[in-house]
Amino acid sequence: MDADAGARAPRPRWARIGGRIALVATLLGVYAVSIRLADVDLGALLEGLPRMADWAGRAVPPETAQLGLLLLRAAETAAIALVGTTLAAVLALVTCTLAARNLTPSAFVRLPTRWLLNTLRGIDSFVFAILFVAAVGLGPFAGVLGVALHTWGSMAKLFAETIEDVPAGPLDAVRLTGASRTKLVSYALVPDVLPGLSSIGLYMLEFNVRTSTVLGIVGAGGIGLELKNSLDLLNFPRLLTVIIIILLMVTAVDQLSSRLRRRLG
Amino acid sequence: MSGHGGAPAIRVQGLGHTYPGHSAPALRDVSFDVGRGEVVAVLGPSGAGKTTLFRCLTQLIASEQGLVELAGRRLGELRGRELSLARRDIGLIFQQFNLVRRLTAEQNVLAGRLGHVPTWRVVLRRFEKSDRALAQACLARVGLSDQASQRADRLSGGQQQRVAIARVLAQQSAVVLADEPVSSLDPASATDVLDTLRGVARERDITVLSSLHQVELATRFADRIVGLRDGRVVVDAPASDFDAADYASIFGRPGQLANVPPGQATPA
Repeated sequence: MDADAGARAPRPRWARIGGRIALVATLLGVYAVSIRLADVDLGALLEGLPRMADWAGRAVPPETAQLGLLLLRAAETAAIALVGTTLAAVLALVTCTLAARNLTPSAFVRLPTRWLLNTLRGIDSFVFAILFVAAVGLGPFAGVLGVALHTWGSMAKLFAETIEDVPAGPLDAVRLTGASRTKLVSYALVPDVLPGLSSIGLYMLEFNVRTSTVLGIVGAGGIGLELKNSLDLLNFPRLLTVIIIILLMVTAVDQLSSRLRRRLG
Repeated sequence: MSGHGGAPAIRVQGLGHTYPGHSAPALRDVSFDVGRGEVVAVLGPSGAGKTTLFRCLTQLIASEQGLVELAGRRLGELRGRELSLARRDIGLIFQQFNLVRRLTAEQNVLAGRLGHVPTWRVVLRRFEKSDRALAQACLARVGLSDQASQRADRLSGGQQQRVAIARVLAQQSAVVLADEPVSSLDPASATDVLDTLRGVARERDITVLSSLHQVELATRFADRIVGLRDGRVVVDAPASDFDAADYASIFGRPGQLANVPPGQATPA
């Protein structure tokens, strides 16, 4: 069937070498332009280093005066991630069956669904959060909505890919017993993909806990608010406490999540 | 439903199919009948059109020429829910068994009931006692009662194919189509699976059409052999009459047959 694809004549030697030179030249050009655009300035870094060392020195010992408030903000961050991810998971479960090639009722449903999901995925939680702060006001709820919308896009795409990887045979076999779509999905598909989907959900939760630590910078709740305040006031001991709390929380969630995911696999 | 001597269980007439982008048709003017309760093997080398024939029979592909009748119904004229209902009465057995990997043997057998059970029962996995008893009886019939709660992907190939037979039994279909049911099994399991399939067909008056590519298995298993070559029916004979000439017309070369005197057919 694919005989003509395999029988393509090999390109001559000079063409291959020429192709490689062109590739390397292009890459070098792209980097040269990018470094220029990104304003890379080693001098500025060297000048800044003593200042950062000075901050680090002034940050020790970390301040514990407002530990209770900071921990509350950390809990708020975790809550934004949990509620946002869960909301996204529900929306993703509904839409992924429309977006998966082997399950969609038709291409007329699948393609618009894909476009919607790609759009959602293309806009970062942070950007959504800015919009929602304007729409629903300052606070963690704006963060929840921002996380939920972006995660919905990413998660549904990953869910759909997991579903597309399910072998077609068993699904066909069950479909051909006369089972409806709902029966097919709940009986033959769900048991097969549930571990994979749960694993994706945990991974997204882990990712969103990290994302949520900065949402407070735009006023969308969580510990990011304290991060920004401390920096604005040049209160480095407090900033250090905030950073330590973030690191502990993110590490704990990562550990928990990867342990759970290993058990699923 | 017609009784013995009525309409054939499977009728294929003038069936032709050409895959898009291919010049040679995969099936050309294929015609044969399978009587009720008959066990027929479709024999042919790979590429002869066996799989295309099975896909046309189940309407997984729509054939552009000819007609297919299963249990008196023309599947090609049915759409949507009617097609689903018609398919419910046809049991299918596949080369790769096609069990749901993470369900138990018993749950896979119960999948044969999905066309009959209300949706809420399927979603909640709350099958009626009668359905569960049926599933257990079907598993017992294929000798796998002790594996009922084993996950499908932990069973051997032969066991998985017997679970698939039990699924077809639970479906209570009068017609079973099997596409290369034993080609991924070792010889002992292959014989075992075909004997089981033949046994249940005899007991329950089930019509079986199965594609096979090994002559020894086909003549042992079937009442009748339909030979395909290059998409055409080249042999249609009782299994007991199958001879070296039939072999040569299907496979295009002389072959060795157990019931052929040596010398009459020499291996290539």
